[in-house]
Amino acid sequence: MHVRSLLTMTAAAVVFAAAGPTGAQTTLNVVTAGDQNMVDYVNNYLGPKFEAQNPGVKVRAVGTGPGDAGSQKIYEKLSAQQKAGAATWDTDVAVVHQRGAATMVGDKLLLPYRNDIAAGKLVTRDTARNALGANVDGYVLPMFHSQIALAYNPDLVKNPPKSFAELTEWVKKNPKQFGYNGVKGGMSGVGFVMGWVEAKSGLADKLEKGPYSATDKAAIDKALAGLKDFNKDVTLTPGNAGTLDMLNRGEIAMGPVWVDMFYTWVADGKLNPKTKLLLPSPGLPGQPMYYVIPAKAANAALAKKFIDFAESPQVQADGIVKQFNWYPGIDPQHVQAKLTPAEWNKLFADVTPDELAKYGRPFPLSSYFTDIVEGYERVVLK
Amino acid sequence: MIAAARTGRWRAYALIAPALIVIAAFFVFPLALSAILAFRATGGGFTFDHFIKAWDLYRTDLIFTVGIVALSTLVIGVVAIAIAGYLTLGEQPRAVAILRWLYRWPLFIPFIVTGQVMRTFLAKNGMLNHALIGVGVIEPLQAQSLLDWRGIVIAFVWKQVPFVTLLVAGAMASLETQHIEAARNLGARRLRVLWDIVLPQVRGTLLVGLVLSFVTMLSVLSVPMMINPNSPTMITVDIAYRISTLSDYHVANALCLMSLVVAAGAAWLYLRHAAAAQASGG
Repeated sequence: MHVRSLLTMTAAAVVFAAAGPTGAQTTLNVVTAGDQNMVDYVNNYLGPKFEAQNPGVKVRAVGTGPGDAGSQKIYEKLSAQQKAGAATWDTDVAVVHQRGAATMVGDKLLLPYRNDIAAGKLVTRDTARNALGANVDGYVLPMFHSQIALAYNPDLVKNPPKSFAELTEWVKKNPKQFGYNGVKGGMSGVGFVMGWVEAKSGLADKLEKGPYSATDKAAIDKALAGLKDFNKDVTLTPGNAGTLDMLNRGEIAMGPVWVDMFYTWVADGKLNPKTKLLLPSPGLPGQPMYYVIPAKAANAALAKKFIDFAESPQVQADGIVKQFNWYPGIDPQHVQAKLTPAEWNKLFADVTPDELAKYGRPFPLSSYFTDIVEGYERVVLK
Repeated sequence: MIAAARTGRWRAYALIAPALIVIAAFFVFPLALSAILAFRATGGGFTFDHFIKAWDLYRTDLIFTVGIVALSTLVIGVVAIAIAGYLTLGEQPRAVAILRWLYRWPLFIPFIVTGQVMRTFLAKNGMLNHALIGVGVIEPLQAQSLLDWRGIVIAFVWKQVPFVTLLVAGAMASLETQHIEAARNLGARRLRVLWDIVLPQVRGTLLVGLVLSFVTMLSVLSVPMMINPNSPTMITVDIAYRISTLSDYHVANALCLMSLVVAAGAAWLYLRHAAAAQASGG
């Protein structure tokens, strides 16, 4: 009896061991910077669809946190594996911000892949080649574009300011009704500060295209001195979500927000649906998130297949636009065909494609970016 | 004899070696690295530049941090003494039981949750102001946001009072009751008993609780981040910002060393008290 049960167990063990390789799963490790919605997007939407098409593949997404800090963590991990001389790295696909992508390309941490996949040809925007002045051509594909805009309550603001000059006037007349989150509480505040400096320094083009020159600090500081004055009449909010919260509770009437967050909050019933958006002249910054593949990704071929799938017009239409209210990463004309006019128009209800093209700007070059946020601490906060 | 004593000593060292190695590898070594980075120039030489920059940009925040944490510690002390005093000297058994059951709750709530709760509770149109307006204490137009230094102090006090109360109430419970009873028999009021009889005997425990709270609050990032990340704010927000937005570990480490100096001040108080207690045989 004993011997027999022992034999059965051994046989079972052998069967399991043999079954191992055939049932073995390849795990595709996706690491994403950004808010929780990025992880949700991969785990709940993209992952299951990709797994259904590719039996034996498991997609696992991990988030590293919002803002450039999230990309910085991914950079530090890859950089550590590079310095340790690891033969393969345990990240297959990473989703990073522009500053992160620029640093990673500079440090040779990424694999060029755009020309290897079909979807590479669907991408037309300048951001696929240039990240804040750094050449990232071939290494990145934009997952989506996001944009900062001013949200306002039309019941309280009948004639919203159309430009930074009008906004300055408006804030004087309506003290504490405009709110933003400074530079330490998230990117919507940082973006507003960038927009302010571009509008008030007259250096917009140079800040975005370069070449960098340290002597521009004087002009930047002068624009920031005006912001210090402006700040006397505004409310400072705790974070990107803090601005939306305060708008919703009626504590402020206007403030800069991420467009996708705005639509998601409205869809979730967390924000008064009457709230509207506008892009003031000469514009506010926006940015893409990039799909990148680490130079020594263990499953590089599968990673390419995954990104090709994620960039396909159908996924861009259903996932990026319909579910998450992001602007598409590939050329919108390929996506528009997959959406009904109503679905398409919802995304452009307040900010038209024309306005977006005119007033949706990139963030300044990295060196200028640093000068501006440091200048903000030196000039505005002290 | 001497040889035997020596082997005994080595055996003792061997026994504490694992603990010492853990402390050296995971506390002392990173601390030394952080100190080195704070003084290292980009080229590799020695420099004070990072401290000059840190002092230049974040002086206000450093003073603000010390002020906030000191004020919170003071308020925590007062509230903890009040609660622990009532638990020890209270005469309504039911009230004492309810208080005993209630006061510990915040102990089990993390700082970040506290921050999140306070963020909606203390906002201008938040629950606190709604309640105050509802019962007619303030007019709607008087409502103001408490999401500044006051919010941080409220969150800290709310979170740390139970910890200090737990320690102090424990110490009070272990006191000889004869002193208290004698004083009461001679006609002393409860407040006087608390002040003259009970407090002097638990002073040491109170100090330990407050010092530990001080150091804990000094290192909290989530609460200032959620309530008031704008200037002036606490030094932890600046450290996180230097690293995450500018990936500038040099200035961040300089700021860390500065807050270490503040924490060391509290540690010195703590050690002095511990030494005094040992000397007096307590």
